Amino acid sequence: MNHVKQSNKLTNNLSRHFYISALLAQLLLGYSLNSQAFDFKEAIKGAVENELKKSDGASGSTEAKTTIETEVKTDAQNPNTPAASAEVKAEAETGINWKNPSQEEEIAIGREITGNLLGAAPLVKDAALQKYVNSVGRWVASQSERADLPWHFGVIDSEDINAFSAPGGYVVITKGLYRKLNNEAQLAGVLGHEIGHVVKKHQLKVIQKQQLLNKGASLLSEKFAKDNKIANKAIGTGAEISARGLDKSAEYEADRLGISVATRAGYDAYGLVDVLQNLTQTSKNDGSVALLFKTHPMPEERLVALSDAVGSRLDNVKPGKTLENRFYKLKN
Amino acid sequence: MKRNIERLLIATALMLQMGLSYAAETGSALKNDTLRFEPYADAKAVGNFTRGESLQILKKKGAWLQVKAKKGTGWVRLLSVKRGVATGSGNTVSGALAVASGRAGTGQVVSTTGIRGLSEAELKAAKFNETEIKAMESYSVSVAQGQKFASAGSLKTVAFSNLKAPVQPTGNQNESRKTIQ
Repeated sequence: MNHVKQSNKLTNNLSRHFYISALLAQLLLGYSLNSQAFDFKEAIKGAVENELKKSDGASGSTEAKTTIETEVKTDAQNPNTPAASAEVKAEAETGINWKNPSQEEEIAIGREITGNLLGAAPLVKDAALQKYVNSVGRWVASQSERADLPWHFGVIDSEDINAFSAPGGYVVITKGLYRKLNNEAQLAGVLGHEIGHVVKKHQLKVIQKQQLLNKGASLLSEKFAKDNKIANKAIGTGAEISARGLDKSAEYEADRLGISVATRAGYDAYGLVDVLQNLTQTSKNDGSVALLFKTHPMPEERLVALSDAVGSRLDNVKPGKTLENRFYKLKN
Repeated sequence: MKRNIERLLIATALMLQMGLSYAAETGSALKNDTLRFEPYADAKAVGNFTRGESLQILKKKGAWLQVKAKKGTGWVRLLSVKRGVATGSGNTVSGALAVASGRAGTGQVVSTTGIRGLSEAELKAAKFNETEIKAMESYSVSVAQGQKFASAGSLKTVAFSNLKAPVQPTGNQNESRKTIQ
């Protein structure tokens, strides 16, 4: 009885939530769990893992199939309303295997996030610039462990100083940061840092973790389900995920990988270091670095960490190229 | 009035420029390190400095800087030195920047309207833009094109394995000595 009632409700809810954007909003639920219901999160953590193991082959996957079969027109025009983002539980399983997403799924997630980010700030309308950044990025990415990804790079029209990456090989740098660069090696270093995040799946792992946590939560008691709804009201939308920082250790790792890939690509190994040195001279109160400094360790700390990681490793590396002569100059 | 602001901006730009150049006089030690007689790890030790110490940067050669410290003058790897002012992040220029960006409490707000920001609120409100993501994907470069681009710049791949996380915490004084042995 109860089961029938629930599944009716489920189907009804499911019909609203086929779109990945709604799904991504759901992903962000985890973040609100962090801030809004910390104990709740802690409490279910263990239970989540047990339930996940138990349910993965059974009810979980059944629900996932239901999602796919459900027709999706009901709320399609408004997938980001609170109503749509609330009550999302089983529809999280829109078919993406969160335990072990395929490369295609990873790319779909990254595309959605990047599309949202581009909604906040579009590309700089300069095809030559975009092509140039893609050329440098592609060459650097080819020296990474995930050379096979379809890498996409872009310069966005914002005076903020920042760079972003999303799963599957999407990398974006702001015009504000590009403006600070003096040569191609520095660009290679910045892109290398972002490539490092993608190679190590830093963002994807955060998303996966939250997703699995949510999925587990939905399988628990009604009380938790209620809490879930409350937490859902604080769900972020759009590209909010791009405004959330990763662990400091992930940033340091991306710095090390950034230097490594740029060096392998034949660039001056110190491009990223130059940029960080430059950033130490930017005031903490400057609004253009507010988000960058909020989501990353301070440039000085990053330099110290790099200094320790590099040690003597670069002593015998032949000096690379900086290529300031062909560095693309911004038109405005 | 407008002229003054312009002058101020130029002055700021000049100050920044100076701060970025290797020829800048000052720097500070990011870690404890040994000063060498020549820009090589196995050159004779001629002094040392401690983390946070102010340094004068004299010369650059490859990945090495010649610096003057309290306890001697010699060469260190450039990653041991932060260029620019000694304490904090950019204290010297922060005042000027604060004025330039209207944050100095003078009420002379230099307009920054029209600049698109990426604040948390703006990112949160962002809506998926299919046109832009398609445009971004349209600029992608193939592996072969990337290779061609690299060749045009005489870029050649270098064998270099990924840097690992340092085993020891930051600021290890004996690091360079160890590498010699």
